[in-house]
Amino acid sequence: MKKLQIKQLIEKIEGEAELDFTFTEGKIDDVKINFGFYRGIEEILQGKDPRDALVITPRVCGICNHAHLIAAVRAIEDGYTNSGVQVELSSKAKDIREFTLACELIQNHVKWLYMTMLPQLEKYVHQESEENYAIKGTYLSSIITKALAIFAGQWPHSSYAVPGGVTCDPTHLDVMQVQSLLNESITFFEQVMTGMSLDAYLAIDSVSTLHQIEGDFGKLLYLMGSHDMAEIGQSHDRFIVFGESLLSKAGKSIVTSVSNVDSKYIQEEIQKGTVAKAVTYKQKQYEVGPLARGMIAKRPIVKSLHKRYKDSLLTRVFSRIHEVALLLDQAKNILEKLCLDEPSCTLDSNIQLYEFEGTGIVEAARGSLVHKTTVNDGKISQYEIITPTQWNLSHGTKEEQGIAIEAMVGSSSIEEATFIFRAFDVCSVCTTQ
Amino acid sequence: MSSQTRPKLLWLQSITCNGNTHSFLNHPDLFSILSHFELIHHPVLDTVFTIEDMLQKNLECDVLILEGSFQEEGFLKNGIEVSSLVKYYASKAKYIVTAGTCATFGGIFKQKDPDAISGFCFDLEEKTIHYETYASKLISLPGCPIHPKWLSYVLLMIVNKKKIEIDNLHRPVELYGYTVHAGCTRNEYFEWKIDAKNFGLKEGCLFYEQGCQGPYTRGSCNKILWNDTSSKTRVGTPCFGCTEPNYPQASLFSTKTNMGIPATMPLGIPRRAYLTLTGVVKSFKIKRFTERLLDYDK
Repeated sequence: MKKLQIKQLIEKIEGEAELDFTFTEGKIDDVKINFGFYRGIEEILQGKDPRDALVITPRVCGICNHAHLIAAVRAIEDGYTNSGVQVELSSKAKDIREFTLACELIQNHVKWLYMTMLPQLEKYVHQESEENYAIKGTYLSSIITKALAIFAGQWPHSSYAVPGGVTCDPTHLDVMQVQSLLNESITFFEQVMTGMSLDAYLAIDSVSTLHQIEGDFGKLLYLMGSHDMAEIGQSHDRFIVFGESLLSKAGKSIVTSVSNVDSKYIQEEIQKGTVAKAVTYKQKQYEVGPLARGMIAKRPIVKSLHKRYKDSLLTRVFSRIHEVALLLDQAKNILEKLCLDEPSCTLDSNIQLYEFEGTGIVEAARGSLVHKTTVNDGKISQYEIITPTQWNLSHGTKEEQGIAIEAMVGSSSIEEATFIFRAFDVCSVCTTQ
Repeated sequence: MSSQTRPKLLWLQSITCNGNTHSFLNHPDLFSILSHFELIHHPVLDTVFTIEDMLQKNLECDVLILEGSFQEEGFLKNGIEVSSLVKYYASKAKYIVTAGTCATFGGIFKQKDPDAISGFCFDLEEKTIHYETYASKLISLPGCPIHPKWLSYVLLMIVNKKKIEIDNLHRPVELYGYTVHAGCTRNEYFEWKIDAKNFGLKEGCLFYEQGCQGPYTRGSCNKILWNDTSSKTRVGTPCFGCTEPNYPQASLFSTKTNMGIPATMPLGIPRRAYLTLTGVVKSFKIKRFTERLLDYDK
């Protein structure tokens, strides 16, 4: 058998990755995914005050920092609860946290569409337009992060979520500004991204009605469809979600049957040749992220795509951009019911616990993010972060290849495989921390 | 301007979270600013040259933006020491902008290996061995992350051939001559020494209990707002001193005190002056500060 090894450096993702392809008889049969540098956030946290994690952990990642903040605060709150200090958030604090998290996901997905998917797809199919996609992507991302910042002070790297709630104490003046920014974002989604009203978009529930989508998302779907990209990129067809969120409940989905999960079965392992650690659930590989959330929530359009194309490139790409619509809609609902009279923070800022262990889980843009904090003598003795990309981009086990690798295997070109890889919304900084 | 005359801009990442990159992408007139430059390489924006071109060290560069902490050995991209890229492009450039606290002083990632990791020209406040070589063209823009408008100010000053006044750590004085405290909406509570009773309240100053470093941290966060709209202290989050050489310090959500008085004084204020003033204002009980801000006069 003729074997051929080719190395490729992937850029214009979050950081860079090196892919080491092995071709056998002209087809990819293995890929090694290597990420650069271990920055040691978990080690940096050791010996620090438990709340310092709210400042340090967002610096894992410039694009999903807010999710790290929410995971970190939930880990502390879980630890307090485990030690007998009840933490009951006001619905106002819960709503504001959900809202700002939704804004970060929208920011991420839109940048990915405009700054990764569209330009890379045009290059791949040799139909490069003169369009400045980045100006569109950054327009929406800066509008929606501005809405986030009205509650959280800034994006990136806010630390406004503290044990017991949030630090802000917004007024209607703030909420009106946020609402207006959100409406601007919805208008962008309707007039630039999809060419249809948000309500009409949300009514799309099967593959046969996908052609109604126009705008830039429509263009992406058309280019993929017309270049036979609907069925490529299939992986293990196994999905997992650990965080309860507006988008889905926790659970796992194998082929199409959904069942419960418990984060205690997550296992982290050191991998050879990369500083990224691999994770498994009961020794099995699972995909996390928007497609997983769509499968576990049994979202009609995701199920319809999955029925026809399985866990393919198209299903995966669609699921991520589809979340923009769901999140815009939910963000609108949150603002409508937001009750400003409630307290922002229900826990005294002077409360200090010296011994506790807690886990915080959040659904970040790329999937489930887990933080575990162990505190002794009032200091962090151990901190563990498991990021979504560790699930999707691991090398896999002896028995089966990792999720993204399995998706690339069988492809006969590096260009195609690289595009499949990018569809996972690759982030090297999260993977290696 | 034609591409021949536009300065060539190269954005190079070292040990980073990409937060400075994403912060700059929030700039509302990003493409107007970039239009003055020929973008040679950028981590996310489309550029003519690829990362391989950059790694081969054969690109031109007039303005180098450095993001991330510096390590002499052991941080590689595609087998190439990033430190060698930094030095190569720094030598070519007419301006070196260290974007963010990591590139400037070492920042959070320095704490992983304090002996080996630092900023490019400063290690905390100390000059590194690179300082002398590059000092004449160095501009420091600390902040975790960098404020988009602070960077655009520097870029536009360069384009307009204006001299950027800097302080002893090479920070532009127009940006870092202020403290984060300047412009904070809680200033009245600071003046009258009224502490915040908890997080999540409009009322009270965060300097006394909640760890706010705003009065002694340099940066115009409350003058040039974040995301054009707010700041940490405006939403009740303490300033963590993220622009300072010694960032991050320990126990960021509580104030270190001596005999009940904050251990670190506001920038440039003698302790005696502070204590005298505190004694005076604390002798008054101001009714307005005992109730909720929006309820007074109702």
